[in-house]
Amino acid sequence: MCSNSNNIYLPHLATIEAITDETPDVRTFKLVFQDEQVRDSFTFRSGQFAEYSAFGAGEATFCIASSPTRTGYIECCFRAVGRVTEALRALEVGDTVGVRGPYGNSFPIEEFYGKNLVFVAGGIALPPLRTAIWNCLDQRDRFGDITIVYGARTEADLVYKRELADWEERGDVNLVKTVDPGGNGAGWDGKVGFVPNILAEAAPSAVNTIALVCGPPIMIKFTLPVLEKLGFTDEAIYTTLENRMKCGVGKCGRCNVGNVYVCKDGPVFTARQVQAMPQEF
Amino acid sequence: MPKTITEHNLRLLIDSLLKDRFRVVGPRLAGAMALYEPLAKGEELVLDQLPRRSAKEVFFPVCENILSFERTEAGLQVTDVDLSAMSETVLVGVRPCDAAAVPVLDEVFSWDYKDEFFLERRRKTTIIGMACTKSDDACFCSAVGLSPGETKGSDLFLTPLLGGGYGCQVLTDKGQQLLARYPKLFVDTVDARLAPLAGGTGDRLDLKRIKAWLDDNFESPLWNDIAERCAGCGACAFLCPACHCFDINDEGTTELGHRRKHWDACGFGKFTNHASGHNPRDLQNKRYRNRIMHKFKYYDDKFGQTLCTGCGRCIRHCPVGIDIAAILREIESRSQ
Repeated sequence: MCSNSNNIYLPHLATIEAITDETPDVRTFKLVFQDEQVRDSFTFRSGQFAEYSAFGAGEATFCIASSPTRTGYIECCFRAVGRVTEALRALEVGDTVGVRGPYGNSFPIEEFYGKNLVFVAGGIALPPLRTAIWNCLDQRDRFGDITIVYGARTEADLVYKRELADWEERGDVNLVKTVDPGGNGAGWDGKVGFVPNILAEAAPSAVNTIALVCGPPIMIKFTLPVLEKLGFTDEAIYTTLENRMKCGVGKCGRCNVGNVYVCKDGPVFTARQVQAMPQEF
Repeated sequence: MPKTITEHNLRLLIDSLLKDRFRVVGPRLAGAMALYEPLAKGEELVLDQLPRRSAKEVFFPVCENILSFERTEAGLQVTDVDLSAMSETVLVGVRPCDAAAVPVLDEVFSWDYKDEFFLERRRKTTIIGMACTKSDDACFCSAVGLSPGETKGSDLFLTPLLGGGYGCQVLTDKGQQLLARYPKLFVDTVDARLAPLAGGTGDRLDLKRIKAWLDDNFESPLWNDIAERCAGCGACAFLCPACHCFDINDEGTTELGHRRKHWDACGFGKFTNHASGHNPRDLQNKRYRNRIMHKFKYYDDKFGQTLCTGCGRCIRHCPVGIDIAAILREIESRSQ
C-alpha cells in the first residue's frame, strides 16, 4: 500500500485484533493499523467517524468508538443489517479491514474543562458518546460531576455491558441505566422507563453543565424538551447526526441536511445548530 | 489579427493530435446518437449535434476503479490506481453548456479533500469549445446567465464563420500551447465574419431572486406539485453536465475485485436510506426539492456558483415531461 498516495478513497489496512459481541447483532472490532507509520501517526478526536470496508462488499460509515486517550488501536461498533455490515460480521480475528478517516468534526472536549457533563444515549447510539466518556474519564480531574443516562429497549440491547459495570463501580460517575417497560429481566437492577422520562427523574443540574445526547431520532425529539426544562440552553446541548454517507469528504452529495453537510460540517452539532436546520433528518 | 481554422484543418488538427499520441475526445456518432467519445480520426467529429450525454464523463466517468484488491498468501493486498497513466487529452467540439459546467465541478472536487481522479484528468485535458448556431426548445443557457457563445471552461473557443470555418479565441495558456503546437493549421484572417449564434435560448432568469425564494421556502406546496409526476428514474441527473452525486461500491469477491466510484442520483429512493430503515428523504417531493435546492441554493451557498448550465437535457429526455426551466420561471414569479 502506498501511504504517500494522493488517492483520497484509498483506505488504510487494519487487522481485527479482537471481536466483542455487544448484543446478538451488535459487534465491536478492535483494529490495529498494519502500517507501522500509520499506527504511530493516526490521530483523531472524539466524535469523528471513518469509512470501514469489508473488501468485496464495500464501505460503511461508523464513528470511532474508542477514546483518543487510548492509543495504538481504534474500535468501531456496528449492527449487522446490510451487505457491508453482514460482510464485516463474517470476518474473524486476524482478518483485514479497510479504514478511511478520521473524518468530520468532533466534540470540543477542551471547552468542557471545568464543567459538569451529562451523557444521554439510547440503544446503539452509545458508541459516539462512549469515545467522549472515556476521553473525559481518562482526564477525570478536569471535569465536575459526570452523569450517564443510558437506555435500550431490552437488557439484551444494551451495548458495552462490561463498561456499564465499570462505570457503575467507579465512585466518580453517576450511571443511570434503564430499559423500556417490558425490556427488563428478573435480575435487572436498573430503571424501567424511556430515556427522556428517566432523565427527567434523574434531573441533573444544568448549572455549568454540558449535555451530550445521542440516540434514535424519536429519543432525541423527546429528550431535548426535558433538557430545556432542566434549564439547559441550546448551546449547552451537543448531539451527532448520523446520515447515510459514501465519500465522507463532502463530495458524493447524500448526507446533507439543507446546505449542511453532515460529513464536513458535522457529525457533531449543538442543539442550536440542529434547530436551525430544515426538517430533513 | 484574429486566428481562424477551416473545418478541414480542424479535422486535420484531430489527426495530428492523434499522431502525436494525444487522446482526442469529441462528439461522435455512436449508433443513433452523438456522444463525447474518443475519436479515431478527424472525420468522425460531429459538428451539428448536441451529444446525448454531457462532457462531464470525460473527467468524471460513469464508473471508474478507485482501487483493486486481492487476497494472497501474504494477506490482503490493495493496489492503488496509477493516475499518472491517464493520457493527455484534447476535448474538442464541446458545447458551451458542457464546457461551462467543468469549472463549476472543479469546486466540489477540489475543496478540502482533492479528488485526483477528477483533477488529474482536468489538468491533462485541453478543452476546445464551440459556439452554437442552432438551439432547440429545451435549450435555456441564456436563462441561467450563459449563452451560445459562452467561453467559460474553454481553453480555445471556436465560433463558426459565415462561409465556413471557425474564428478561434485563445482563452488560457493551455489553449495557447495547443495553437502554438500546430501553427500551420490556424491562419490569420482580417475580414472573418462570425455567423449569427443560436437564438431562443431563454430570457435571463434572476437567479438571485430564485435563490432568495429557495432560502425561505424549504417547506412549500410547490415541491408536491412538481414531484407528483417524477418517476425517480434519475435520467436528469445522469444527463446533467453538473450533477455529480456518486456512490462507492465493491465489485468482485472477497478474494479479488475492485472498488468503484460511479454515478448516482438524489432522485433515487434509496439514496439517503439509513441502515435502520429511516430515510430523511423518504418521498419523491423531498428528493426533487433536494435537486433544485442543490443546484440553485446549496451549491451557491457553498461555492458561489449555480449547478446548472441550461443545456436542457433533463427537459428533453424526462420521461414524464418535467421542465426545470419552467419550474425556475415559476419560482422567480413567486419571489418578491
